[in-house]
Amino acid sequence: MDLAKKTQQLNDRLNYIKDIFAGKHQDDITLLESRLNEFKDNAAENVEEAVATLDDLFGFMEKKLEAKLTPMDKVRIVRHPQRICLKDILENVYDNYTEIGGQDEHTNDPAVLIARAYITRRYGKKTYNQSVMVIGHEKGHGEEFRNGGSAKPWGNAKALHYMHVAETEGIPVHTYIFTPGGDPVEDYPGAGQQIAKNIYEMAGLSVPVVALISEGGSGGAEAFGLADKRLMLSHGYYSVISPEGAAAIEGRLKRGERASAELTEQCAKNLHLTAQDNLSFGYIDKIIQEPLLGARPYHYDFFRTLRQEIIRATDEIMLEANGFSLFNFSKLRRLQDPETNLDETYVRWHIKRKRRSDLIEQRQNKFMRMSRKTYINRQSILGALSDTWAEQWREVYNRLVYDFYHHQRKHYRRLWEEIEGEWLSIKQKTAKPFKDAYNKVRRIDPAAEEELTTLSKWDDESSRNSAWKWVSPKAKEDRAVTCPNSAVHGCVDLWAPDLYNEFAGVCTNCGHHFKMEYQWFMHNCFDENSIYEFNNEWEAGNPLKFPTLDERLKEAREKTKLKSGCITYEARIDGIKCVVAILAAPFRGGSVGAAEGAKLISAIDRARRKRYPLIIYSHGTAGIRIQEGTHGVIQMPRVTIAIRRYMRAGGLYLVLYDTNSFGGPVASFLGCAHYQFAMRSSNLGFAGPAVIKNTTGIDVPPDHHNCYKALSRGHIQGVWDRRDTRTNLKQALLTMGGRNLYYR
Amino acid sequence: MLDITSLLEEIKQRPYTDLSIKTPHTGIIEFTDLNEGDKVKDASGEFKEIPGTKIAVITREKNPRFIHACQKGIIQKLHKQYDKQFVEAGVEIGVLRHFLSKEEVISILLQKALHLFRAPERAKYYFAPEADKKIKISGSRSITVTDGMELFIVSRMKREVPLTYHGPEGIIYQVYFKHNQNVDVNEPLIGICPPDQLQTIEDVISRVNHEWKEQI
Amino acid sequence: MEKQHKVLIANRGEIAVRIIQACCKLGLKFVAVFTQEDVHSGHVKLAKELGDDKSLYCISSYHDANEILSVADAAEATAIHPGYGFFAEDFRFARRVTERDRPLIFLGPSWRVIRELGDKINTKRIARSLNVPTVPGSDRPIYDESEAEKIARTLFDFQLQQGVEKPLVLVKASAGGGGMGIEEIHDIDLFRSVYRRIRNYAMRQFKDDGVLIEQRIKNFNHLEVQIISDRSGKNPVHFGTRNCSIQSTGLQKRIEIAPGFDPKTIQYTFDAEKVLNDIIEHSLALARKVNYDSVGTWEWIVTKEGNPFLMEVNTRIQVENGVSAAISKIKGKGGVDLIAEQIRTGLGEPLGYTQSDITFDGIGIEYRLIAEDTDNKFTPWVGDIENFTWEKAPWLSMHTHIPHVTKENPYTIPTEFDPNLALGIIWGPDLETAKQRGKEFLNNLVIAGSNAQGQSLKSNIPFLLKNTDRILKF
Repeated sequence: MDLAKKTQQLNDRLNYIKDIFAGKHQDDITLLESRLNEFKDNAAENVEEAVATLDDLFGFMEKKLEAKLTPMDKVRIVRHPQRICLKDILENVYDNYTEIGGQDEHTNDPAVLIARAYITRRYGKKTYNQSVMVIGHEKGHGEEFRNGGSAKPWGNAKALHYMHVAETEGIPVHTYIFTPGGDPVEDYPGAGQQIAKNIYEMAGLSVPVVALISEGGSGGAEAFGLADKRLMLSHGYYSVISPEGAAAIEGRLKRGERASAELTEQCAKNLHLTAQDNLSFGYIDKIIQEPLLGARPYHYDFFRTLRQEIIRATDEIMLEANGFSLFNFSKLRRLQDPETNLDETYVRWHIKRKRRSDLIEQRQNKFMRMSRKTYINRQSILGALSDTWAEQWREVYNRLVYDFYHHQRKHYRRLWEEIEGEWLSIKQKTAKPFKDAYNKVRRIDPAAEEELTTLSKWDDESSRNSAWKWVSPKAKEDRAVTCPNSAVHGCVDLWAPDLYNEFAGVCTNCGHHFKMEYQWFMHNCFDENSIYEFNNEWEAGNPLKFPTLDERLKEAREKTKLKSGCITYEARIDGIKCVVAILAAPFRGGSVGAAEGAKLISAIDRARRKRYPLIIYSHGTAGIRIQEGTHGVIQMPRVTIAIRRYMRAGGLYLVLYDTNSFGGPVASFLGCAHYQFAMRSSNLGFAGPAVIKNTTGIDVPPDHHNCYKALSRGHIQGVWDRRDTRTNLKQALLTMGGRNLYYR
Repeated sequence: MLDITSLLEEIKQRPYTDLSIKTPHTGIIEFTDLNEGDKVKDASGEFKEIPGTKIAVITREKNPRFIHACQKGIIQKLHKQYDKQFVEAGVEIGVLRHFLSKEEVISILLQKALHLFRAPERAKYYFAPEADKKIKISGSRSITVTDGMELFIVSRMKREVPLTYHGPEGIIYQVYFKHNQNVDVNEPLIGICPPDQLQTIEDVISRVNHEWKEQI
Repeated sequence: MEKQHKVLIANRGEIAVRIIQACCKLGLKFVAVFTQEDVHSGHVKLAKELGDDKSLYCISSYHDANEILSVADAAEATAIHPGYGFFAEDFRFARRVTERDRPLIFLGPSWRVIRELGDKINTKRIARSLNVPTVPGSDRPIYDESEAEKIARTLFDFQLQQGVEKPLVLVKASAGGGGMGIEEIHDIDLFRSVYRRIRNYAMRQFKDDGVLIEQRIKNFNHLEVQIISDRSGKNPVHFGTRNCSIQSTGLQKRIEIAPGFDPKTIQYTFDAEKVLNDIIEHSLALARKVNYDSVGTWEWIVTKEGNPFLMEVNTRIQVENGVSAAISKIKGKGGVDLIAEQIRTGLGEPLGYTQSDITFDGIGIEYRLIAEDTDNKFTPWVGDIENFTWEKAPWLSMHTHIPHVTKENPYTIPTEFDPNLALGIIWGPDLETAKQRGKEFLNNLVIAGSNAQGQSLKSNIPFLLKNTDRILKF
């Protein structure tokens, strides 16, 4: 035995313990340290024995400390440079692999690693090499260029590309989530936008996906996370936000300030981010037990366990998706027996072509079933029942009307149009000589002359100079308001009653859009008295019992007279019926939690059932409501799946951003829309400037998230003037709609 | 020939400028707790996004606005007699002593070293489109001007007329006017460096870079 | 007046001087404002002479309503006179003045009237509803191509029938203004392409693709009717007509004459007397209809055939108000001051006289004296005025904001504002005398100066002299 090596190992173990407990359990650590030093100083006579004793002592202490692990300790474990990384897994879990997404720093994004790998299984006398596409974050063991596993937009795009490759090749995808979060600096096509695309595409990937979460940091995790089976390492975390980030928000810290250790520890606990928490919520399928104090590269036993679990998960998806034949059933039984060595069994990793859509549907349903009881429905049972009935009836009605009746009618109409066209052209040809002769005799019609000089009839004269139907209360104050661009554009101060009423909050000189209430959009952009709100009894709750959230929700309810940050209603624009959802900024920053997610899904489904276009107006959203933890995060894939189902069924989905829109919603169901527009002067992106500064240390220019920047990046399709919102919506419905859209 | 040494000595005798802080418009003025002798900062941050030190608040039509320091320096004087009073536009509320930076010293010396082409009348000045394009792409020093060259557009009373350059041939070393701002008659518009003077100019710059110590 | 009023003058130059004088005449306090550029202007000097310690304030801009109102509060003004230009026809400013927490009186029409008559389509429709003649063509935005073409076609036929040799039709964006989005066509075959161009332009520029189609009238005289009414809006009276046909190439007025025609000495191809009476009656009818409650000017064009068409209503006091006053008498008394009348009635006093109390006598000519190069597209001349003198005469009144100047103490013409230097108003018992006095005035007028390049001042005196011969001739 190499003594120096052993000493070094023990030293590493000690330092690791010191690091992850960050100054706690000092007695235990001092004891270990002194024993180790004694051992180092006095070359013992019986080295073997001394090492064994020390080893035992370390083992004992690690076991003792394991029991005392707090959620924050786990966060530190996950972030430790000694923690296993994707490369270790590739080396130890798979039998062979080739990196295809670049090598080390020679890639567009070293934080994302892609490999084609295979697992060798022996069954009877036969050997099977089962190919998989391995996609994951690579934190490395402290290499700077890995960017800590924070993927850039093009890293996520690369991952998505290889998911599609796997789809073409018909091989399963294994994703490994080792990320503190996506890199927040905006670049083509937008940090959030690419994550949204990944989620949207993964929701429809026709090959099995197994995801393993070690460090699941918010949006970055979701980019790889929409999987058929979601496994999680016992010492990992899966959270809406880093505990430091949560502490910064909870402590209302300014740019650059750091939260105290106690507050961070407290937040880690309150966020319920551990594997055990997430299993109980139902957001992961299984926990993979790690060695004491977390897996490190030398824990070879652990890699064997991991290999078995990865194979098992993949096998299970295959068997479930291919249907339960008697044969499959017995295989499944065997799989579930922990004693079985899966290396010596065989399940073919292939899904029949006709079964692929079932696989997708199963995956989607799995997510749609999640987080159902995490908000409050104040609706009476009777009301809920009648709603359910109405929904069922709609489904049947639409099948009849759209799928059957319209189909037939279209056919006949086309025929009629052709006949009519033919007849008209004949008529014109024969009438032409007569018409020409008539036109040659020019006469002045006295009536026409009168028309030129006397008052004409004008039916919608009243529509000219018409006032806004809804006027902001800010227009009641007699005061001047300074335009933020006044220094650059020389804008004169505006009078609030002009600005917030007639000018619709727009600076008449430079066009800057001041913030307006969501009611402005709600009441000035749709036909009069056409708004019918639904699900307004659904109320945002506090599923994690996060301290003080109840009081803050109560305050928000009183202030805004809303029950959640999402308003859903049906309305008409020039007679075109549509379903609209608003994320209202005044209610807890427009953040999205379980209630908002459920309301959105319900609205999306309603639009799908009723064949209406869908408009989501982000009046402003700060992101996922962090106090709901993963109950909030899970809304990202859930709502995106609902959107995907709607769009795949032919629905027209428009997104309109206003004020400030950031975080999870932008990185999922908003960002995945094909048609996204932004109100002038709005900001949108993945993370705000303060978060970027805190996580990356980079100062971004003040206009980094400006809507025009987003337009240049290719995130959105256009920037709208608030005063033209109604016209633009109408225009969008007409030009982006068409025969295939529901409202036709 | 330019006597850099004595010019520099002269500036060193008075290494600052006193800037008058004026009200941008009418309103009721209220001073912050800043006092005479206090240091103030100008706009900072990588993008100058953090405004300078607040000197006073001026409230007009119920709309308070800060008056920020536009240069760093020391508050020399504050006219606190105006505190909480209504003031007219353009009233001096204080004096800021700004210590010259290297760039500013260079600029002062250059004004003496360069051939200055001055505004013939009070108006707004722009570069003629051709020159403007070149300047925007590769900077003013890419342009060599010659006597009789049509270089500017003079804009006043909503009318624009061309203006030709008269003077020695050389490159435009410095531009003194800003877009959309009136230039008074006889104020310099551009500083021209004739080719044979280039050495002198470089000397000025290196001398200042060596000898000038910035205060605060 | 029960209350001691204080009038803030939200203007500069000549009109500010006139308003200060009118306030003093009425025994009212006043507040004047000025910007740094105007520190040597005559209105500042006068305000110092006639005002108290709260009568003059320096502001950052005449265009900033916040400055005006903040001074109004500080100086405890009770009313605001906008003069002409700046805020004179801004209904939002008028609304803000009267609806703010500390309301003031806006010395002009009520903001609703300004808004109503500020919209040309609206004015045209009100006029038509009263059978007031307007330019032939559409009186509402046309959105339909075939309808637009039909109107254009009838307009061509209509003009041919009226004896117009080369008929012209204007296509303009209904939401536009200020000469933007207007095109002229002389042939109906060009209509569609022009129409589409304007429509697309309007859609892009104003988000409204409505167009107006009107006859383009060439060769006309520009006439005006001066109206005044008190706050009741019930009994408007007129102070006669003016002819403002002598203009610069940029269509700015240079000479105004009251009354609009002189059928006693000049032969017209139409019944000029009747035309004048008609436009006065039409203007009054419209004023009654909208309850017009201040001074205002109804602008007309009169074709060579003697057909008048209402163009627009200027809801303000105009530069040329003095020339109408010069030929008017109220209850037999001269020295009429329309600005003072506007202030007096604006503050709530009833008019106190009727139309029959107003009589007219003689001819008035107003010359606008401007430093400009009339041979070179009326380019403004900028520099220092070193000498400015004229011969006083009982038949002459001069209005200027230029202070007393000498070579050593010149006045620099500010570059930011209208280039008007002075108004010279001449009165004569008949046209011939008036013209003669006008020439005498112009010949004796001295205005000299130089600019930085040493070039001497260019004034429009030669232009005014030359055009004096053709006044009131069609």
